[in-house]
Amino acid sequence: MIDEIQTVWIRYNLTERTIEHLQIFTIALLLAITIGVATGLFLYRRRRYSPPVFSTLNAVQTFPDIALLILLIPLAGIGTVPTIIACVLYSILPIARNTYTGLISVGPELLEVGRAMGLVERDILMKIRFPLAFPMIAGGIRIAIVFTMGIVTLGGIFGAGGLGAPLQTGINLMRPDIIFVAGIWVGLLAVILDGIAGGIEAELKRRFGSW
Amino acid sequence: MVSLELLGTPVLQHIILAYIALIASILLGIPLAILSLYSRSLQKVVMVMANLMQAVPTFAVVAFVVPLIGIGFWPAIIAILLRALLPIIKNTWVGLSSLDPALIASAEGIGLSQWEIIRYVRLPNAYPAIFAGVKFAAILANSVAILTAMIGSGGLGTVVFEGLAGVNMMKMMSGALPAIGIALFLDTSFGWLEKRMVPPGMK
Amino acid sequence: MINRLIDPDQGSISINGTAITSIDEIILRKNIGYVIQQIGLFPHMTVRENIGLVPKIEGWSHDRIEERVKELLTLVHLPPEIFMDRYPKELSGGQQQRIGLARALVMDPPLLLMDEPFGALDPLLRRQLQDEFIGIKEDIGRTIVFVTHDINEAFRLGDRIAIMHEGRIVQVGTARDLILSPADPMVAGLVGSDHLYRHLENLTVQDIMRPVSRVCLLQASTSISSAIVLMTDGGEEVAVISDGSSLSGVVWISDLLRGGRLSGTVGSYARSPPILRPDGTALSAISGMKADGDSIALVMNGEELLGIFTPDEVLRRLV
Repeated sequence: MIDEIQTVWIRYNLTERTIEHLQIFTIALLLAITIGVATGLFLYRRRRYSPPVFSTLNAVQTFPDIALLILLIPLAGIGTVPTIIACVLYSILPIARNTYTGLISVGPELLEVGRAMGLVERDILMKIRFPLAFPMIAGGIRIAIVFTMGIVTLGGIFGAGGLGAPLQTGINLMRPDIIFVAGIWVGLLAVILDGIAGGIEAELKRRFGSW
Repeated sequence: MVSLELLGTPVLQHIILAYIALIASILLGIPLAILSLYSRSLQKVVMVMANLMQAVPTFAVVAFVVPLIGIGFWPAIIAILLRALLPIIKNTWVGLSSLDPALIASAEGIGLSQWEIIRYVRLPNAYPAIFAGVKFAAILANSVAILTAMIGSGGLGTVVFEGLAGVNMMKMMSGALPAIGIALFLDTSFGWLEKRMVPPGMK
Repeated sequence: MINRLIDPDQGSISINGTAITSIDEIILRKNIGYVIQQIGLFPHMTVRENIGLVPKIEGWSHDRIEERVKELLTLVHLPPEIFMDRYPKELSGGQQQRIGLARALVMDPPLLLMDEPFGALDPLLRRQLQDEFIGIKEDIGRTIVFVTHDINEAFRLGDRIAIMHEGRIVQVGTARDLILSPADPMVAGLVGSDHLYRHLENLTVQDIMRPVSRVCLLQASTSISSAIVLMTDGGEEVAVISDGSSLSGVVWISDLLRGGRLSGTVGSYARSPPILRPDGTALSAISGMKADGDSIALVMNGEELLGIFTPDEVLRRLV
């Protein structure tokens, strides 16, 4: 059995596919975190924009992922770039929403004390609101990790490479060995990444959570 | 240009595909969640599985079905069900279990049986959570049902993949746009239902 | 409102003659320590970081902050080496409130605002913190504005008490002023002016002694017979005997009568009673006297006689 796995692994370049996959994943996730946190922060500063922005992002999130990738073809073609864009479009919502919620849901007594100490709004935001929002933001990033992993895999159908590509080959050739090796591997990667994110989230909650 | 008649069948197929799977997930997921309230070991297995499975990419789940069950309409239903089941089980369980213990104690105190407690106390309290789970599952089913065309389910996905293979933008769009339309329709109508269904005291 | 978290709709607040609305609010707040009932320690910061937050923003050096934190923890009776690096959720409610106080004191503000700081604590702990607070209050020597709903807490901790009702200050004064001359029935009801016996702890010896002007004073050389006449006429049971310039004790009319002698001077019957300080509480005076079996005490401020203190008198005045 180990021989079979090895054969499939080498024959279908799973090492390179994995690296490719994780590269796309990392770029997409970092972009999503940057844009998502920035969006959450922006909406916290300009609250009246939050209902339209969130309902737009909400609507985008209901789109079937394949349909979104197709909508992106006229704009970005196929391959890595539209896959990354799709990942980011899906992942902004959980990160932005959790950032926003985390920033606004700080205990009123903490804000009262902070202001009474003579902290200016900037200090209150950077030293109190943001750190206290960390667990929420981490929760949003964890959701984004699952989304991103799913869409990067799907990107294999759209020429983005990664571990979706051997999966597609496996289905097309009806080859159980390829499907099992690539499928279990990508599933394992996803579960591990989710587990790490969950661990970080729990640690942040323990460390920064209210008592 | 793809004519509307030709499209009619894929749309219908798509809807049938997604909704048989959705209804099956509801019929399976809610009882499973209720049962896991009364068995700690079942609850553990169900929740651990649900959490792990949720992280696995959809494409991998769809692919697994091929060697395990085969290709075609019914394997596709199983694939969609495997995805849609998770949010339903999870939300139902959370809704049923996150109940003030005092409420359960007082329900037992006035002499309700276990079944009556579920029927009159736990379930009504869990409606909003179950509803949110079903909504999420419906949107997910709509999405997975496109992908399952890869394993021969038919429906809108077939149009999409044919378009993709022939680099026919028009054809791809005529598969993708109805799916997006269905998604938006689902989101709006569930949102509307949500407002009407939540018991007045729990808003 | 004093630190302008809320601006007044009407009226004005001044600190040392300066209207607070004319002071920059950030500067104002940095000069006012603030302690609230919910405490509001930042859960993501250690005790050290909580106390050191404002100094850090003010650009203090690490060492200076560390030293200040240690100093304050010692002041609030928490050993720095144990508590510096703990997180708030690792502390009990009482410990948290002490950290809250330490944090408010970090910039050594001339004014401290405390908004029901002990309100959420259980009665035993509250009592203990009040006792500690009395000590800390003396140590820091700052003006403290302390808001409470508990009139007994006000009596225990406050030097001057302002009673507020429907947004107005109804009366300002010491515990004695409020108890013995309430401004209106609302204040009387609040402080319990009609149940004075409850206030033994809030009133001082001076508040309920018999002042020297109403005490019968006799020279030690007065003859017993004339003393009996004088005391009977004045309706006095007891008189204070002075020996020229210094006091030599008290004499009871009952002793004089029981002695059966008419010759001689009252000086020979003089007893030396215990001496009380005028600012002790009435309660501790009475319990001290009860323990020693005394029925009278002199209230002295140094060499000067201020009055006499008898439990009978206290009873008569308070009930």
